Amino acid sequence: MENKNTNPKEIFEGYNEKYDQKLMIEHDYDGIRELDNPPPPWLMWLFYLTVFWALGYAAYFHFFHIGPLQAEEYKIEMAEAAKKYKKSDAETKQIVLLTDETSLNAGAAVYAKSCAACHGPKGKGGIGVNLTDNKWIYGNSPENVFKTIKNGTTKGMASFSSLPDKKLIQVTSFILLKLQPQKATDTESNTNSDN
Amino acid sequence: MTQEKFYYDNKIVKLFAYATIFWGIVGMLVGLWAATELAFPSWNLNLSFLTFGRLRPLHTNAIVFAFTGNAIFTGSYYVVQRLLKARMFSDFLSKFNFWGWQLIIVLAAITLPLGITVSKEYAELEWPIDILIAVVWVSYGWNLIGTLLKRRVQHIYVAIWFFLASFVAVAVLHIGNSIEIPVNFFKSYTVYAGVQDAVVQWWYGHNAVAFFLTTPFLGLMYYFLPKAANRPIYSYRLSIIHFWSLIFIYMWAGPHHLLYQALPDWAQTLGVVFSIMLLAPSWGGMINGLLTLRGAWDKVRESAVLKFFVVAVTAYGMSTFEGPMLSIKTVNSFTHFTDWTIAHVHIGGMGWNGFMTFGMLYWLIPRLFNTKLHSEKSANTHFWIGTLGMLAYSIPLYWAAFTQTLMWKEFTDAGYLAYPEFLDTVTQIIPMYITRVFGGILYITGIIIMLPNLIKTIKSGHIIENEETYAAPREKLAKKRLAGETPHRWIERKAVHFTIWVLIAIIVGGLVEIIPMITVKSNIPTIAAVKPYTPLELEGRDLYIKEGCYTCHSQSIRPFRSETERYGEYSKQGEFVYDHPFQWGSKRTGPDLARSGYRGGKMFRPAVWHYEHFKDPQKFIEGSIMPAYPWFFENDLDYSSIKRKIEVMQMLGVPYPAGYADKAEADLKKQAEGIAAELKKAGKDIAWNKQIIAMIAYLHKLGKDISLATADNKSNAEGEKTKILNFTASSNPEDLKSGAEIFKSTCAACHGANGEGVIGPNLGDNFTLHGSNAKDIFKVISDGAGIMTGYKFQFDQKKLGQVASYVYSLLGTNPKNGQDPEGEKIQK
Repeated sequence: MENKNTNPKEIFEGYNEKYDQKLMIEHDYDGIRELDNPPPPWLMWLFYLTVFWALGYAAYFHFFHIGPLQAEEYKIEMAEAAKKYKKSDAETKQIVLLTDETSLNAGAAVYAKSCAACHGPKGKGGIGVNLTDNKWIYGNSPENVFKTIKNGTTKGMASFSSLPDKKLIQVTSFILLKLQPQKATDTESNTNSDN
Repeated sequence: MTQEKFYYDNKIVKLFAYATIFWGIVGMLVGLWAATELAFPSWNLNLSFLTFGRLRPLHTNAIVFAFTGNAIFTGSYYVVQRLLKARMFSDFLSKFNFWGWQLIIVLAAITLPLGITVSKEYAELEWPIDILIAVVWVSYGWNLIGTLLKRRVQHIYVAIWFFLASFVAVAVLHIGNSIEIPVNFFKSYTVYAGVQDAVVQWWYGHNAVAFFLTTPFLGLMYYFLPKAANRPIYSYRLSIIHFWSLIFIYMWAGPHHLLYQALPDWAQTLGVVFSIMLLAPSWGGMINGLLTLRGAWDKVRESAVLKFFVVAVTAYGMSTFEGPMLSIKTVNSFTHFTDWTIAHVHIGGMGWNGFMTFGMLYWLIPRLFNTKLHSEKSANTHFWIGTLGMLAYSIPLYWAAFTQTLMWKEFTDAGYLAYPEFLDTVTQIIPMYITRVFGGILYITGIIIMLPNLIKTIKSGHIIENEETYAAPREKLAKKRLAGETPHRWIERKAVHFTIWVLIAIIVGGLVEIIPMITVKSNIPTIAAVKPYTPLELEGRDLYIKEGCYTCHSQSIRPFRSETERYGEYSKQGEFVYDHPFQWGSKRTGPDLARSGYRGGKMFRPAVWHYEHFKDPQKFIEGSIMPAYPWFFENDLDYSSIKRKIEVMQMLGVPYPAGYADKAEADLKKQAEGIAAELKKAGKDIAWNKQIIAMIAYLHKLGKDISLATADNKSNAEGEKTKILNFTASSNPEDLKSGAEIFKSTCAACHGANGEGVIGPNLGDNFTLHGSNAKDIFKVISDGAGIMTGYKFQFDQKKLGQVASYVYSLLGTNPKNGQDPEGEKIQK
């Protein structure tokens, strides 16, 4: 603290008497000095504003219960969606099985990728049930098979709602027309050939 | 005044500076590798220790603790001695601090790739290392406070306030978050469960950012910026205001990492409002830094050091603006779980921490070695390449986040998810992941340019390890406040008082948020159906933790239609009561897994699917960036600690029956054999004691209890019916009052505050859709009807009865502004 030069201009080239408040002469930390400027008013106002906002926010949601909390917000969102959207066409209308070869081949591809792991490559069953016999747990109408695939079951069948309805109808058609009834034999060609 | 002779310890500064550069390069290369894996999954070379799940924790720990940690020590050991006009309190502690810290880093670099982790982000290290961290950190603080006590200056400068706050807060955070019960030397379970663990973890995680990446760097800024610019600090008063408001408010903001998740609403609100209030205090630091440069801007043109500082401070301002914005719930619902978070932290990490460190090194190394910087031009090149790298890194990620979040939330006109395949939303952003890798390469190139420049600088000079200097001893002043002394000026000369005030300021926020979460039961409503993990599931869970699955998969479904449609029912507090630690995750590079065991749910996959998927994820999902886990099929499950694991869980309050630990191994084997048999049926021959079996068991546990609850309810429908048949409306005013309260918080949104009807029908007229007697009403509330959801899982029978009684009492009250009647007319 021995260097008691009191003329700021001589200490700092950039010191601006017009804008800067006094230099705090007694503040000297390893040569670092401090000015006595007030904090910028806009910054202080920003701070007060955020504090007011915080109080308002808490009051809006918790003290006066005006705004919906998250569980309620979800219910509103779901209720609005239920009002807005009707059920998907495929789910409500009758499902017409596709008989053209392109669709059945597409269905076979979906089957191989998504179903074969459990129901076996030829539908003979494995982890999942045999699809080539006449026993159906959830019904064998096109609508029921479609629903079972789309929604899954509580007994272990996965839901394939992530597939578009078109693909689901293709695979439903494949299962009902190609694997059923007694169509699956042990010959490899059966899966893809046109009967 | 007599001058005392003493010596600055420059050697310790030099050691820390070298370590900073070394670990910086290592940490960034690890990050680059991890980023490359997201763009090109084959880069993990099918080696377990190179998978993303193990590399990402290594990268974050290396950057946070090794690179910036050493940078903090470099700066603070240099600055503290000069600002306090004293050599460090103890050379032994300085050395212990240095070597201890490097040992921790080496241990982290070994254990994390091996999968030895507790999975709490930025606190992944296991308990023996946690203890070491606490000891070394306290040695730093002891050294710091010791130096404060023997200082030769009267008042302590703002830079030291920030170092002090950093020391105190990090000690509290680290110890508070790391309370865990060891299972063995390499494994422990945190004492906190589920929601509590989430709150404690993000109290820590958020404030690690605050008190490790922010406040110490503000300390560095307050020294190196005015030094390099040769300008006085713009405003002493602003330093005071922003210091205290910053350290106080920061500690409250943690819950903003858990918005819209299974956290009580009050805690989320605290997180939101304190994050917003944090904006101005954070900006205080930036403003004081930038305004200090007034009159020195011409120097910025030439000086690389000042350029680094200016961009660092600006990046700090940007991230601290972005942070509060991301804490607004609506914004957060879009940005959370996306790459936005990653871009945000890299603006802070690369811009603020990285550039402050580089600026400091370019300023410090020549002074330490009594020479000039070898090449100012090369330093300027580093600056421009680094800046470009930072932008090339973050802009693609912001873009990726924006794209992906909109894809997640988009519905088709028929009301279905537009992109039901999660992978479609990932494939879309792969080009951005590739661009990001180039950003990272540019940024690292900057450091590669810095390295020879600094080496040549060091070679051209020589260091005085013990630098001789003089200062007058500290005058003894009265303990009491002097006339004309402001209260703050007064505590600036009372180091111990100052430290105590800092402790008080930082401790309040955490206590208010954490204590009620642990002590007040209603914060975590229990769900009876949720059962503890079976021994096999527990082992599977530990594998999930070991592999770092949480780095890419969340287990937290938020209450949005776009998420429940994709993943299933949203996550509730009560689901996590046995989770030590919680596994909610913070980023969805893959889909959420909270309902992967929900039979009949959208995420459920049979055992054989998991088997094939872990073996070769691309077989089922073409283009998937999930790595294969071939070692799950080769490695035996190590269940040798299962007895102790169950005992530790019991100690933590998980209700396994007494003596169950002894039976655990037999149960584990039985369940594993069951899964192996199931796989065998599907043609997959695998021994029951392979790791894959435990993984399948765990994935099938996630959300299973909730689905069983639903299934049970279906089979118990008869029992339900009798309950409903026996129900009669209560006219007890107490019941009606409770019913009215539930109605107000739950039903009023759709049926209006007085039952006049909004989205749902008018309940106060004389018309009903689903029957008018009390039993009918009870049934509708319990099971739902039409678009109305049932509430039987949310409220117990008593509460359902209360609200049904209240609704019954509304019939015929004809509230104001009632909706038009719907349904059949009734007689009450």
